[in-house]
Amino acid sequence: MTILISFDIDGTMEIGDPAGAVTLEMVKTARAKGIITGSCSDRPMSAQRAIWEQYGVEYDFVCYKHLLSDLKTQFEVEEYYHVGDRDDLDRKYAIQAGFGFFWPDEAAASPLLL
Amino acid sequence: MATGYAPSSMYRSREGMGIWEHKGKVAAVGVGHSPTERRWDERPETSVGAWSIMALRNAIADAGVEPDHIDGIVIVPETTTGAFWPDDKPLPQDVINAFVQTDDPLDGVAKLSVEWLLKNMPELTNINYSVYAPVCMSNALNVAAQAVGDGLAHTVLVLKAWHNLEGRYYQGGQNAQDAIGGTSAIRSLWGAPACYGTALQFAEYCRKYGKDHDMMTPFIINSRRNGLMFPEGYWAQHRPEELTPEDYQLARWIAKPANLFDNDIPIMCAASYLFTTAERAKDMKQKPVYVLNHVDSDAVPRGLTPTLDEVEAECALTGRKIYEGAGITAADLSFENMYDGFTQFHQFHLEGLGYRGIGFGDALDFYQTDISIEGPNPVSPSGGNIGSGRSRFWMHTDSIQQLQGRAGGRQITGVNAEIGVSGGPMPLGGNYTVWSATPD
Repeated sequence: MTILISFDIDGTMEIGDPAGAVTLEMVKTARAKGIITGSCSDRPMSAQRAIWEQYGVEYDFVCYKHLLSDLKTQFEVEEYYHVGDRDDLDRKYAIQAGFGFFWPDEAAASPLLL
Repeated sequence: MATGYAPSSMYRSREGMGIWEHKGKVAAVGVGHSPTERRWDERPETSVGAWSIMALRNAIADAGVEPDHIDGIVIVPETTTGAFWPDDKPLPQDVINAFVQTDDPLDGVAKLSVEWLLKNMPELTNINYSVYAPVCMSNALNVAAQAVGDGLAHTVLVLKAWHNLEGRYYQGGQNAQDAIGGTSAIRSLWGAPACYGTALQFAEYCRKYGKDHDMMTPFIINSRRNGLMFPEGYWAQHRPEELTPEDYQLARWIAKPANLFDNDIPIMCAASYLFTTAERAKDMKQKPVYVLNHVDSDAVPRGLTPTLDEVEAECALTGRKIYEGAGITAADLSFENMYDGFTQFHQFHLEGLGYRGIGFGDALDFYQTDISIEGPNPVSPSGGNIGSGRSRFWMHTDSIQQLQGRAGGRQITGVNAEIGVSGGPMPLGGNYTVWSATPD
């Protein structure tokens, strides 16, 4: 089954401000399973690219979280997920775009990332 | 010594007051900053009180004066606009105990008093004049300049500090209560974000003059670029990220047509300046920067949110007052550092000044020209709040440093730094200072 997971950064990932529960190793694990990964954050898209490159983690996309629905048109997979820490932004936009949604601690315990 | 707010008589609010009676007789010499942080980590040494002391001591050292030569202090007691200590949050007793206390346990934690500062800065032994200025450094500078000019004190420290707590900005205070008093209830009832009023004005501006939001892009990129050359600032210290047109233009709306990057990022920081008489400044460590004038805008809008017409009228009036009191014209400005936190304030201020001859409706076209520090028309060389985070004082530090020739990478090179203006925040309700490398 093909899967795409988008990660918010601040409050979601260990490298965020504030730090969240999702580690870079978890992202690498997901990629090793063939999952398409990238970030959807309020951080500038150029900064999102720089973060992945700084930490040496490959990525398939970066975008803003309110553009999740656009992202969906760029990748044809069977399941889409977004991981984020805010109800009014991450969860709302994920649901609007037809993504499944994980809170950071749920994602950190998900078999998709372990 | 009880400290109160500055009386209205200290402000220059009216047109027709003539040249400021103390023009060129007051100077800024020392500049002191604390580090910046996104939020407080609740350690004593990073509290807003500790960083205020650090900024004050840095300004004293920068000016090269002995602390006991300082006889006045002007501070802004409020240290936030949107991060209030929650009623149900336990007091940080270890932080409180780390300092000499006043009767208010949040003094030095989420607010500041002169009493707290003097208790914790025993080296300031000769302060005999102290006064509060509301809200902003811009206001405090007006008060300090007038105080020195009037002879209320001869060597004055000016301070503004900001705290920021864990969690989201503007979610506490009255926004967390079940009821809100006054006219703010009408806006808050609908959940309007802070930039809503300015966004409304900007929307009308775009409609009136046939402009669009994307035309703000060069200003945003220029501001962040300048901010990244401001070593005292948040983005330079913590996240040295430039912005691209794509980054800006695709960002989500906060209140359309104001997006995420039209808003500044709340941070912790403190800054202080040392003001003195022009005569005393000659013997201090740094080059004096003379105050040619200070101006207050005290206009009250007819409604809850000022209309574009009101904004333009007030900015034009402010511009006239700035020039009248300083005895200069727009052509004398080497640079401008007007407020930008929201970005969409800036074009109103710029047009009110008639900077480089522009009129109302011209600023966004002006932004498409060379507005860099290397060009002939530098716009916001400080980078402002957009370039360095929410402080409302980067513009003042930069103006002083530009005229002292020590703005580092931000030093304007397309024109000689001779006269600059800084101030804000709101088009209706702001304070402005005209700075000069020479007293006349």
